[in-house]
Amino acid sequence: MPNDWLVILPLLSLAAGGTAVFGAGAFWRSRPRELLFALSLITVAAAGAAVVLVAPQAASFSGVLDLGSYSRFFNFLFLAITGLTLLFVRHYARERGFAGDELYGLLLFAALGMALLAVARHWLIFFLGLELLSLSLYVLIAIRKGDAGSNEAGVKYFILGAVASAFLTFGIALLYAATGSLDIGASLGAELQPGALPLLMAALSLILVGVGFKISLVPFHLWTPDVYQGAPAPVTAFLSAGSKVALFAALLRFSLDLGPAAWSYALPAIWVLAVLTMVVGNITALRQTQVKRLLAYSSVAQMGYLLMALVAVKEGGAPALMFFLAVYAVMDLGAFGIVGTLSGTAADRDALENYRGLGYSQPWRAAVLAVCLISLAGLPPTAGFMGKLVLFKVVLQAHYRVLPVIGILTVIISIYYYIKVVIALYLQPRAAGTAVPRAEPSGVLAVAVILVLLLWLGLLPGSVLNLVSRIAG
Amino acid sequence: MLHFPILTVIIFVPILGSFLPLAHSRDPVVARWSSLAVTLVEMALVGSLFFLDLTPHASPQGTWLLLEEYSWIASFGAKYSLGLDGISLVLITLTAFINIFCVLISWRAIEEKVGSFFFFILFLEGTLMGLFLANDLLLFYLFWEIQLIPMFFLVGIWGHENRIHAAIKFILYTLTGSLLMLLALIAIYIMHGHQTGVYTFNLYQLMHTRFSFTIEVLLFLAFFLSFAIKIPLIPVHTWLPDTHTEAPTAGSVDLAGLLLKTGIYGLFRFAIPLFPNATKFFGPMLLALGLGGLFYAAWVALTQTDIKRLVAYSSISHMGLMVVGIAIWNPIAVSGALLQMVNHGISTSALFIMVGMLDERVHSRDFAVMGGLWGRMPVFSAFFLLFALSSLGLPGLNNFVGEVLILIGTFQAKPVIAILGFCGIVFGVIYILRMVQDSLFGEPRSEHDLWDLDGREILMLAALALAVLFIGLHPTPVLHLLEHPVATMLQQTQQVALQGM
Repeated sequence: MPNDWLVILPLLSLAAGGTAVFGAGAFWRSRPRELLFALSLITVAAAGAAVVLVAPQAASFSGVLDLGSYSRFFNFLFLAITGLTLLFVRHYARERGFAGDELYGLLLFAALGMALLAVARHWLIFFLGLELLSLSLYVLIAIRKGDAGSNEAGVKYFILGAVASAFLTFGIALLYAATGSLDIGASLGAELQPGALPLLMAALSLILVGVGFKISLVPFHLWTPDVYQGAPAPVTAFLSAGSKVALFAALLRFSLDLGPAAWSYALPAIWVLAVLTMVVGNITALRQTQVKRLLAYSSVAQMGYLLMALVAVKEGGAPALMFFLAVYAVMDLGAFGIVGTLSGTAADRDALENYRGLGYSQPWRAAVLAVCLISLAGLPPTAGFMGKLVLFKVVLQAHYRVLPVIGILTVIISIYYYIKVVIALYLQPRAAGTAVPRAEPSGVLAVAVILVLLLWLGLLPGSVLNLVSRIAG
Repeated sequence: MLHFPILTVIIFVPILGSFLPLAHSRDPVVARWSSLAVTLVEMALVGSLFFLDLTPHASPQGTWLLLEEYSWIASFGAKYSLGLDGISLVLITLTAFINIFCVLISWRAIEEKVGSFFFFILFLEGTLMGLFLANDLLLFYLFWEIQLIPMFFLVGIWGHENRIHAAIKFILYTLTGSLLMLLALIAIYIMHGHQTGVYTFNLYQLMHTRFSFTIEVLLFLAFFLSFAIKIPLIPVHTWLPDTHTEAPTAGSVDLAGLLLKTGIYGLFRFAIPLFPNATKFFGPMLLALGLGGLFYAAWVALTQTDIKRLVAYSSISHMGLMVVGIAIWNPIAVSGALLQMVNHGISTSALFIMVGMLDERVHSRDFAVMGGLWGRMPVFSAFFLLFALSSLGLPGLNNFVGEVLILIGTFQAKPVIAILGFCGIVFGVIYILRMVQDSLFGEPRSEHDLWDLDGREILMLAALALAVLFIGLHPTPVLHLLEHPVATMLQQTQQVALQGM
């Protein structure tokens, strides 16, 4: 098949945009913040237009890249996440003095990394995407150079991320040894040689551990609260929405590729990890008094629900997972993003007491934050309800009984801590604390988009559900 | 068939109208009047249904006076499907009626965050309308859960001292039930899909799903738990007294008058028709829980020193008798129970409203500071006595009709239960009389500056009193509305039960 450069236009535009941002940063001595922001936004918009307009093509570049409709869906989602992050981070970064080329450029390169994860059909491309994403994130997390918490978070994420990458690399190497192929589909779907089973199992376990670190499954989640708390809030939003969705998109693809024999060995592991993640994530979140830590554990728990539905992926669970990933991205991005817009420059608004009474002094942002939390809790009329509904539907459809019951019980547990934040926002009297910065246009736009998306996906999800089932089917 | 989607309008007038007071948060006067206008428009819309000369007609989706159906989530087979029959007509009329009082009673009582308060009241009204009209299970569930959110805020923001605790308790209890129901609901949907190839959430199609007995029992229990918490039946009733004690008056009125009814309604409309065999199996348990609630709550009510808690326990006691009526499942008992939902809605709301008025005057709900009101507030006392007597089932007043019908129906099927139920009602007389005696009669126990009812208050109570007398003396129009749908429902359930054997 000839190399079709048009197909990879989204990737090319991201790479070009990132390079241009760095170039612009180097060219002007005083950092042209607005230009960099505009350049990044245009890049994202151009890449988004390319994603929508260029006809999907399943296998290109000798089958190394897959730009079919599946990748197209996720690329669009990643670009939406990046776009919203840009809106959230613009004012935040300017106030804190890190609105430079490194911020915008790295965000674009991280988006490129996520896109590569979704399109990769070859382990090297996958690894390339993962490292591009991770390297950008290491810097982004520690981007507030004067802030000790931010630096500590960056180092933590770097060390554990490096360990995870090592696991993954070793797993990929073993997989290559077992199957003789670096093509993702071929190596995972290969017929099992009787003698190769232990090798394959070892490879798959290592890959699962590596991915598990990145999407913070229990017991590989311990870095999550520290890093989420230390990183600047909009970066946390990007980290939790973007990188987790990207890696889960890859994990979803791996699961679909996996041959039936190997899948039957993987299932129990996924079952156990799902239960652990849901139970530990939700129960640990109960005791948190810092909002960013609470949301970090909540995002661990949300990954648990996704993993729960992953067991049903061979019985037509893929559309539900894709839908929930989109919903998850919107609500987590919204929650962390709004925390960012409510924070003063010294430190992010973190202690639960500091949220008291914000519902009345900041009605709009607090209301959307409450909607995000209600959505994370899975209550209608928000997107989170529909997301949970489709997840539990596919799990029940695949004849699992115990797993969904455990899942729904953990959902009940989770209501308590989400409601705790809502209570602080609306039911408790205003606490004397740091002043809340005024709303600024880009943040308002982002918050409004989040609200519309959450209600739209919650009440009229028909079109998106149709889209995902068409893509997966 | 009507082309104008009046049922949709009935749901969305209060939901969209709720943004009017919210938009006028700065101006409490406008917020109050606009909310009153919305509830009156809503009442007029619901009232217009009575003049449409609707006749029931059968369709694959059941027998309805009016049916509105639009596609909603095509990939699930979930439809935006609303059906109006006599039962929902009675209940939405009650909802529209009670909500006018919710607005009026809060006129002066709510002074802070007036706009948001009325926003939640109206939003709640809209979701209740949707709940009583939905005949698609997913749509029903959506309204079932959404209604918790405004109630949570009503209790949590405008409640009394322990309001946060009460609000948390309320939401955790009710959500625990409903999330398990969600799982059961999806399970029925999937089983029906497997059996027939048709994936739908439509109640009347799902009624023909076949279950093995074990599965049916499990699914029934999941539904039942959710409804039992809402009714509430013992032993899952403990959230209700706390929530009532802390809720603002309008919240209590909504809760006792309407939210509790959704539990009975769900049992009647969904749980029993979907799982007739499991219901038969659990019939004795339902009767025992109903009777147990009737006696236990009456007994606990007797020991209360807080008048609002007493009325709350009286609610639990009355709801117990309604569950008995539903569990007997013959036309007379079921009609009686449904009529009793309306009666209880009116009488208990009236009592809560009057307790609220008293609270505005003496700033306490403790019997220790009452007594002797008869001499000091004659108009108030007369109304209070009327509603108290209606609540204990005096012939000629509304509750009597409902209770007698339940007992007659029960007597036909299970005489012993009817006799026990009768004793329970007599038991209830004791605490009501004690409440009247301790508050209205005797020596005044405090030196509060009391003033009798003003025009707004008299108007409200007179309207409620008229409703009490109307149903008490001439219940035929309401019973006539219930007659046909109850008969259809019982007959369908019979068929389903036979198929399932």
